[in-house]
Amino acid sequence: MRLYLPFLRTAINRFFATRARIKLLVLGLLGTLICAALYLLTYKSVSYFHSQSELGIILSMKIFQMAWITIFAMLIFSSMIAGVSTLYLSHDNEIIVAAPVTLEELFRMRMFTTFLNTSWMMLLFSLPIFGAFGVVFSAGPLYWPLLAAAVPATAFTASGSAMLFVIVLVYLFPARRTKDIIVYLSICFGVFLYLIFRLMRPEDLVNPEKYGQFVEYMSAISNPAGFWLPASWTSNMLSSYLLDRDIDFLLVGLILLTPPVLLFCGEFLMARFFASGFSKSQESFGGQHRFKEVGWGRSRLLWVFRKESISFLRDSKEWSQFFMIGALVIVYLYNFKVLPLERTFGSAYVANLIAFGNIGLSGFLAAALAARFVYPSIGGEGGAFYLIRTSPMSAARFFFYKYLFYLIPFTLLIIVLVSVSNHFLQIEGPMWWISLFCALLICWTVVALALGFGAIFADYHAENRSTAMGPGSVFYFFCAISYMLVVLFSGVSPAYRLIRAWLRSGGMPLSDALLIFFWVIAVIGLSAVVMTLIFRRGIGALTAR
Amino acid sequence: MSKPILTLEELSKTFDRLTAVDKIDLQMQKGEILGFLGPNGAGKTTTIKMIAGLLQPSSGAISICGHDMASEAKRCRELTGYIPDRPFLYEKLTGAEYLSFISSLYPPPQGKTCGEQGESYLKLFDLHGWRNNLIESYSHGMRQKLIMTSIFMLDQPLIVVDEPMIGLDPKSARIVKELFKSKAESGTTIFLSTHSMEIAEELCHRVCIIREGRIIAGGSVDSLKAQAKHGAANLEDLFLQLTGAFELQEVVAALRQR
Repeated sequence: MRLYLPFLRTAINRFFATRARIKLLVLGLLGTLICAALYLLTYKSVSYFHSQSELGIILSMKIFQMAWITIFAMLIFSSMIAGVSTLYLSHDNEIIVAAPVTLEELFRMRMFTTFLNTSWMMLLFSLPIFGAFGVVFSAGPLYWPLLAAAVPATAFTASGSAMLFVIVLVYLFPARRTKDIIVYLSICFGVFLYLIFRLMRPEDLVNPEKYGQFVEYMSAISNPAGFWLPASWTSNMLSSYLLDRDIDFLLVGLILLTPPVLLFCGEFLMARFFASGFSKSQESFGGQHRFKEVGWGRSRLLWVFRKESISFLRDSKEWSQFFMIGALVIVYLYNFKVLPLERTFGSAYVANLIAFGNIGLSGFLAAALAARFVYPSIGGEGGAFYLIRTSPMSAARFFFYKYLFYLIPFTLLIIVLVSVSNHFLQIEGPMWWISLFCALLICWTVVALALGFGAIFADYHAENRSTAMGPGSVFYFFCAISYMLVVLFSGVSPAYRLIRAWLRSGGMPLSDALLIFFWVIAVIGLSAVVMTLIFRRGIGALTAR
Repeated sequence: MSKPILTLEELSKTFDRLTAVDKIDLQMQKGEILGFLGPNGAGKTTTIKMIAGLLQPSSGAISICGHDMASEAKRCRELTGYIPDRPFLYEKLTGAEYLSFISSLYPPPQGKTCGEQGESYLKLFDLHGWRNNLIESYSHGMRQKLIMTSIFMLDQPLIVVDEPMIGLDPKSARIVKELFKSKAESGTTIFLSTHSMEIAEELCHRVCIIREGRIIAGGSVDSLKAQAKHGAANLEDLFLQLTGAFELQEVVAALRQR
C-alpha cells in the first residue's frame, strides 16, 4: 500500500481541499447530468429497437456488442499511452526506482493507477448506458451484479494488456527517444483500430441486400463478435443473460480470471524487461540531433507561430495525436461514403438533412480537438510563461496570435471534412454553402472558447500539455456544446424551408431567403458576442497572472 | 583497511556514439566525502544516476557495502540515498505526507524513528511550520531542503548528492555543509557532485575531476595542488588547469579586447 500513498493523498488533497469543494460539487452535478442524459438517450434508442420485432432486438444487441468493443479499443490505446508515461517517463521514477522497491510492487502500483486514471470515465459513464439495456430488456436480478463485475474486470483487462504490450515493446525496440516509443504504439493502435472497425462491418447492418437471403443477413448480424477479444466475452456473456437469462460460466470465468493472470504475467515481464527498457528510455535526453540555424529578423507574429509549431512538433508525446486525428478523419469520411442514400426514399432530402446534421458533427469534432490541443496551449507554456509576461508583448496580442495559430489548421480540417462529406452526400446548392459557413463559424468560436477557458483555468504546473486538462476543460466542453446546440436548433426551421424550396423549384421564395438571412445574422451576432466575452475573460486572466 | 562503501570498477556508459562515462575506477571508504568535479557534460550526473540505480551501466560494476548493483539492486538501493539536482516532488502532497511516503519506501533507521529524525531536520531547516502545507506552495529552496530532509532522516551509509546548494539561502547552505560534515563524522559516506570549488575545498576529503567521461585527477585537495604543473593557488586554479584553462585565457583575452 505504501506506493499508493502519493496517488491517494494527491487525489484526496486535490478533491477535498476547501477551495475545491464547490468545484467538486459542480463537477458532481455535471457528471450526474451527463449520466442521466446518457441513460435517457440509450433508453430511448434501445426501447425503439426493442419494440421493432426480432430484427430490432438483434440490432440492439449488435449495438451493445459494438459499444463494448469500441470502449475496449479506446481503453487499450489510452492505457498504452498512459503506461509509457507512468512506467518509463514519469518524474517520480527518480524517487521510486531509486528506492528499494521491487519491480513487481512497482508494476502493481503503476498498473492500478493507470487502470484508475484511464478507466474511471468508462466505469462511470458506461453504467448508465449498459444499465439502460438492462431496464429495456427487463433484465433479471443477476444482470446488475454481473454488469458491476464485468465493467471493471474488462477495463482492467484492457489496461493490463496495454501495460504488458508496452513493457515488451519498449524492451524489443531500443527506443532511445520517447517519440520512437510513442510512434510505435500509435502505428500499432492504428492497425488495431482498423482491424476492429473492419471486423465489426457496421455498414452491413443497414444493408440486408448485400446478403443473398434474409436468413443469411440475420445470421450475419446475430453472430457474436470474435471470441479472441475480451470485450466480446463480456458483451456475449451479458447479452446471453439479457436475452435468455442464461449465464455462460465459461465466459464469466474468462472475464474474472483474465485480470489476475495479466497481473501475474506483467510482474513476470517487468522483472525481466523493465530495467533495460527504463534505462534506455532515459537515454533519450542525450539526443545528439543538430537542427539547422535560423535567422534572427523574423516578426513577432512569425516567432510566436514558429515557437508554437516547433514546440508541438518536437514534443514526441504529441505525435500519437496525429495518428488519432488521421484515423478519426478517415472513419468520419468513410461513414459518409458508405451511407446507403441510393436506397432511401427521398434521398436528396435525407442527404441535405444529413449535411445539416453534419454541421453539428464537425463542430463536435472541432470542439473535441480544441479541448485536446487548444485548451492546454496556455497552461502548456508552463514555467516559461514568465518570458511572455515580462516581455513588451501585451497579453492581448499573445492571446490573439495563439488564436490565429490554431485557427489555420482547424479551418483547413473543417473545410476538408465538410467539403468531402458534402461531395459524398452529393450536396448541391445553398446547403453546401450553409453547411460550410456554419461549420466554420462554429469551429472559429469553439477554438476561441477553448483558448479562453484554457487561459482562465491554465495549469502552469502541468507536466505536459496532455496533463494540463483540468476541470476547466469540462466547463469549456459544456459551453461549446451548448453554443453549438443553440446554433443548430435555431437553424432547423430556416434550413428545412430552404431545402424544401430548393429541391422543389431550384429557387427560394423571398420569405425563406429572408429567414435564412436573419438566422445567419443572428448566428454571426451570437458567435461575435461569445468570442468577445471569452477573449476579454481570457486576456484578463493572462494579464492577472 | 575496512571494506569500501562504494566501489566503481571499469564503469562505462555510452549513448549512441557518445561515451558519457569511460571506464571509471573508484573506491570510497566509510565516513568519506568525495567531491566529484567536472565541466558541464563531463559525465557527473550519468555516473550519479548509475550509482543511484537509475541508469544501467554499459559495462563495469558498481558495488555498495559489498553488494553488487547488478545482482542485488534492491539491497543497494536500501543503502543509498539519492538527492537529485532538480528534485521532483509530488505537488499535491504536504511536506509531512511526502516524508511519510519516503520513509515507507526504505527500511527504518537504527535508533531514532524516521518521524523523529524528519521532525528534527524540518526544524533545523525552518520548514517545520510548513510541513502541513502543499508542496506546490514551497519555494525552490524549500523543496531542496525537503528532499534533503527526506534522505537525511533515513540514515543510510551512502548519500549521493547532485549539486546540493542550488537554491539554498546562506543560512540553509551553512546548515547543509555542517550536516554533511557531521554525517561524515558519524560514518556516512557522501558522494557529492558540485560545480562549487569552495564547497569541494571546504567539505571534501578527496576530490575527483572528471572530463569527457574519464577521471583525469584524484586525491586530496592538497595533494592535487602539489601535483599541479604551474603551482595552483587553490582548487579553482587547479580545476581550470585540468579542464581547459588555456581556452579560458583565450576567452578572457577576447572579451577584454571588445
